[in-house]
Amino acid sequence: MPGMQLRICHLYPELMNIYGDRGNVITMVKRCIWRDIAVTVTDITLGEAIDPADFDFFFIGGGQDREQILVCDDLSGDKGQAVRQAVEDGASLLAICGGYQLLGKYFLTYTGEDLPGISLFDVKTVGGDTRFIGNIAVDCEVDGIRAQLVGFENHSGRTRLGPEARPLGRVIKGYGNNGEDGTEGCVYKSAVGSYLHGSLLPKNPRLADWFILRSLRRKYELEELPGLDDALENAARDAALQFTMKEKRFRKRFGR
Amino acid sequence: MKVSLSVAVATGKILTALSRRLGFGAGSNFPGKVILRMRPEAPEEIASRLTGGCVLVSGTNGKTTTSNLLAGMLRASGLQPVHNKVGANLMTGITASLAQASDRRGKPRGDIGLFEVDEATLPAAIKRLTPRMVILTNLFRDQLDRYGELESLSRKIDAGLKGLSGGSCILLNADDPLVASLGGESTARKYFYGIESEDIGEIGLRHAADSKNCRSCGEKLSFSAHFFGHMGKYSCPNCGLERPAVDFAATRVELKGTAGSRLDISTPLWNLALNLGLPGLYNVQNLLAAVGGAELLGLDDHNIEAGVEGYSTAFGRGERIPIAGRTLFLVLSKNPTGFNEVIRTLGTEGRDLPIVAALNDRIADGRDVSWIWDVDFEELAPLARFIIASGTRAPDMALRMKYAGLDAARLTVEGNLKKALDKAIERSHEGETIYALTTYTATLDMRRLLTKIGVAAGYWEAN
Repeated sequence: MPGMQLRICHLYPELMNIYGDRGNVITMVKRCIWRDIAVTVTDITLGEAIDPADFDFFFIGGGQDREQILVCDDLSGDKGQAVRQAVEDGASLLAICGGYQLLGKYFLTYTGEDLPGISLFDVKTVGGDTRFIGNIAVDCEVDGIRAQLVGFENHSGRTRLGPEARPLGRVIKGYGNNGEDGTEGCVYKSAVGSYLHGSLLPKNPRLADWFILRSLRRKYELEELPGLDDALENAARDAALQFTMKEKRFRKRFGR
Repeated sequence: MKVSLSVAVATGKILTALSRRLGFGAGSNFPGKVILRMRPEAPEEIASRLTGGCVLVSGTNGKTTTSNLLAGMLRASGLQPVHNKVGANLMTGITASLAQASDRRGKPRGDIGLFEVDEATLPAAIKRLTPRMVILTNLFRDQLDRYGELESLSRKIDAGLKGLSGGSCILLNADDPLVASLGGESTARKYFYGIESEDIGEIGLRHAADSKNCRSCGEKLSFSAHFFGHMGKYSCPNCGLERPAVDFAATRVELKGTAGSRLDISTPLWNLALNLGLPGLYNVQNLLAAVGGAELLGLDDHNIEAGVEGYSTAFGRGERIPIAGRTLFLVLSKNPTGFNEVIRTLGTEGRDLPIVAALNDRIADGRDVSWIWDVDFEELAPLARFIIASGTRAPDMALRMKYAGLDAARLTVEGNLKKALDKAIERSHEGETIYALTTYTATLDMRRLLTKIGVAAGYWEAN
């Protein structure tokens, strides 16, 4: 697809990258390159400003408590508003775990730290005394991604959707947002928050392509993307789905 | 059920012998579990009878190599260490090792305890074994699904170190900002080791670095030299925190690929020139930890030299095994930092390499395989003639290799380890080296397979 370009903003790559979340960016880049779509990745970290018009896709991964506090602070002013603005203007976004929590209304950690979010997603998160750890399978309910998603979750935060919020999908196996209401993640326009590590996108190529398509449609007239050979991706996803469904569950005390 | 120490010890020994006979490997966890159930205070009782006390080695990477090197030095000095050398580093494994080394009354046949201890187990092990020395190699995010976050882990280790008696000591890796910050509230004496060689290290940090911010003020650390992971010479531009002064230093390092390295080491007492038969900078740090430990335990320089010389490779840590006219180079690769170092070392072996990469997701490996996306496989892809992805998560490994730039013609998925090895032999040439990069339980599987074929001894007999 010569002549097309997708500009990726990788937010806080050195602070918010736990459990290999950068695999999501690698996947976006490769799936663009294989389709001859020009792609750029810009790392944006603490103290660096964002122009909402500069990027088509934003990514933010998970982080540990210490890093989350630094990022929360950095996003609190104009920068967080710039990310919101970009999504309002049609940019797409993927936020995983700790990044997802910081894009909601707030994250109240188990140790009592109050981290205000940028309210892109209508969700509130409170830390619990146990961690939700394990493989997870989700029925994705978003238009255009009717697929089962598979990944690995590891979080103490319990996220509740607000009245305005739509979930990314329904948990088939695992915990998801809070381990109680069966929802996982959140979708707002072309922005997705999710608890799935894995990395998420490599084994869920339809979701990756949804992001690419939504990002490109912001600038180009486009019905669909040319297909790729996803035999390996699907085999890896099917294998992971299979053993996730067979797995017994165990709940782990936080921090032991 | 509570029984006498001798009954608990005898039961443990019988169970250990049984599980070996039945082929469950060294079977170190189950017997330990039974002993602890029968007599919870068994480890304290046996350990307190060790005349030379106990030394604990902990950290994410390098525990096994460091304690094996130190064990070699102790033996060279005429001491008999009680040592858990098969990587059985939870309280159960330590308990089984203690029982195994004891006579019928629970009196240990050895002078000094030398235990590698799982990071999360360290606080409990300190409490039970009251060690005279704790060595901490490094802290990376290995198996975070088991340990919780690095931050809370380091807080717990710190609390554990606080419980050390004033007469004991802590030996810390100065190159790791997280490790170097530990033990602040402990009354034990602190010592540091690190790499001081001027020409080693690169500028800039890799993404697999875990601890890049100042421990006291949160500012991003500045590195004048960077070794691997978050290891290096660092300082904080904001609050002025510095890497601590080093007691045991590698002043000159000459890396020779998978053949190892040549080193000059300076200690408070000696200047040593050593040849280390283990690859990579991470093993230079392991050696420094062992040298520091040996000197602090009162060993002589010639004990240290003899220990290094007589060192036989820790299980799976860079073993070379002849098989079908080829050499199998077996390297444990279990987390991003370890894997990246292995890849860097393979870079010195040339191009066109036959590679087997086996990824398991059993409990001991960590159930979460996301970490493979933090490994720089983009640097491995151009080195490979082919990569055979294997293990319980073979498709995930294969997918990672695809996105790292390995084309389909060079990529094979074969979950079965034996078949993967057969294919690697078939597709390699006589006299060539096959590189097997395997996670923890995949290394065990490979070792078991090689034992079965008859090309390698059972690992509990190996050293």
